[in-house]
Amino acid sequence: MPAGRRGPAAQSARRPPPLLPLLLLCVLGAPRAGSGAHTAVISPQDPTLLIGSSLQATCSVHGDPPGATAEGLYWTLNGRRLPPELSRVLNTSTLALALANLNGSRQQSGDNLVCHARDGSILAGSCLYVGLPPEKPFNISCWSKNMKDLTCRWTPGAHGETFLHTNYSLKYKLRWYGQDNTCEEYHTVGPHSCHIPKDLALFTPYEIWVEATNRLGSARSDVLTLDILDVVTTDPPPDVHVSRVGGLEDQLSVRWVSPPALKDFLFQAKYQIRYRVEDSVDWKVVDDVSNQTSCRLAGLKPGTVYFVQVRCNPFGIYGSKKAGIWSEWSHPTAASTPRSERPGPGGGACEPRGGEPSSGPVRRELKQFLGWLKKHAYCSNLSFRLYDQWRAWMQKSHKTRNQVGRRDPSPSPLPTGPAR
Amino acid sequence: MSRREGSLAPQADSSVSLLPHLEAKIRQTHSLAHLLTKYAEQLLQEYVQLQGDPFGLPGFSPPRLPVAGLSAPAPSHAGLPVHERLRLDAAALAALPPLLDAVRRRQAELNPRAPRLLRRLEDAARQARALGAAVEALLAALGAANRGPRAEPPAAAAAATSASAASGVFPAKVLGLRVCGLYREWLSRTEGDLGQLLPGGPA
Repeated sequence: MPAGRRGPAAQSARRPPPLLPLLLLCVLGAPRAGSGAHTAVISPQDPTLLIGSSLQATCSVHGDPPGATAEGLYWTLNGRRLPPELSRVLNTSTLALALANLNGSRQQSGDNLVCHARDGSILAGSCLYVGLPPEKPFNISCWSKNMKDLTCRWTPGAHGETFLHTNYSLKYKLRWYGQDNTCEEYHTVGPHSCHIPKDLALFTPYEIWVEATNRLGSARSDVLTLDILDVVTTDPPPDVHVSRVGGLEDQLSVRWVSPPALKDFLFQAKYQIRYRVEDSVDWKVVDDVSNQTSCRLAGLKPGTVYFVQVRCNPFGIYGSKKAGIWSEWSHPTAASTPRSERPGPGGGACEPRGGEPSSGPVRRELKQFLGWLKKHAYCSNLSFRLYDQWRAWMQKSHKTRNQVGRRDPSPSPLPTGPAR
Repeated sequence: MSRREGSLAPQADSSVSLLPHLEAKIRQTHSLAHLLTKYAEQLLQEYVQLQGDPFGLPGFSPPRLPVAGLSAPAPSHAGLPVHERLRLDAAALAALPPLLDAVRRRQAELNPRAPRLLRRLEDAARQARALGAAVEALLAALGAANRGPRAEPPAAAAAATSASAASGVFPAKVLGLRVCGLYREWLSRTEGDLGQLLPGGPA
């Protein structure tokens, strides 16, 4: 592939100005006849330079009456007065400036180099663009959501800091035929990303690359070749439910539905489950869940609230041999394991009955949990009253089961986490 | 509504009462002008910030040169009859949108990663049009609509477009500052002039 090329570190090419239209006559830099005022012209106008390079500039004064002098003129750069030793009077009407080892531009619209009269009034200005040419973008990755679109992300070369506005353009074409196309929807999943929403072909490879361009040159990434079917992802599994497994203290049952968008396509889905204890940030991952839509988590702590998420990898679509791309995790679903029935601290005997106004540690913690759920899990109807109703119902159904004896260890229809 | 020749200041003759809906319209337009004046302040602040120093520095004073097709409110503006002031306000508001559009196009090249500034400039053009139309509607309702030839915004737009594209970057920054400043000045002037029409305002 062609290496990134650097443009000349020279003044940017400017379109030759037309005859000054009326508006421009009124803009800074044009003399006002008969006014006794002076104006000036800075050369070069709006140069583009490499970081570390030098600049020689001049400010030439003209005006009415003629013979305006360069004595007393001075320069500022971004509002700061430049030391007089950097300037010298070239002739009666021209003041020169020498800047060395330029730093990168402070703002993308250009550094403001201004020539002032003795009284501080502005005579002329020029904007400097000091930066670096772009480096080769790299690390392009793409994925297709349900084979309908393609989103790509990349890393800009040199961490993106060129001090100049750098334009990134994602290009793509069918490998063996077709013209170059340019992606149009940028910044969809971050600053260096683009989304192609439609008109994508399957079963034929695409070539994808990124071109970076700024005033100092351009660079092109390596080409990524891919088939849409090899980079498919999908939505997270919907309808994730987590429930107790009867009275088993250390188990929870997780059920979900396979993503509906791909249900008509031949593929084998892989799933992953992750879960964590309420107060922990450490997730445990269950990896070995292939093509099933339920799983039983075991070895859990009794009387503990767990958050559970599921994600899907639709590998093997239409016979693709590639791994596929994991979906996002589903919204967290919460459930708690039954409390241990052994007596002791934290045992159920110490819990206040439903309806009692006691504000023990369990209820305090539950209140915090309900507040968090309302905020994060889009479930505004949770309340202590609902929890107490549930406890009363649980006690009643537990009594009933004890009377008739344990029959079926299938999970009891407990309220699970909030619906997504 | 009673049509009157001469002065448009209803409150100058206490025997004339504005129709309630006309009074409501004046209040509404005055409120709009007040709101847009605040937006214009924000636009100006964002603009100077993105051009870099010295644009945002206190004491920065580039030459206030006139812009073709639009000038600042004259010192004599306040002494004119209110209908004449509002006509000038409406004319200025009609001249502003192409200038603001030209500034936006130039800023799209200079500050492409400043979507908020670009959106504010786009909104400003639209809002100037809306307020200008509202003022003209009021003038028509008050029987003082301008029947003579008007300034031609398309010519100003063409000049603004070509000039903005051709000028150096620093002059373009200064021009944009000037246009944003004029926008704020004319909105503030319009708000003040409309306030004169409100019942209880000064005659």
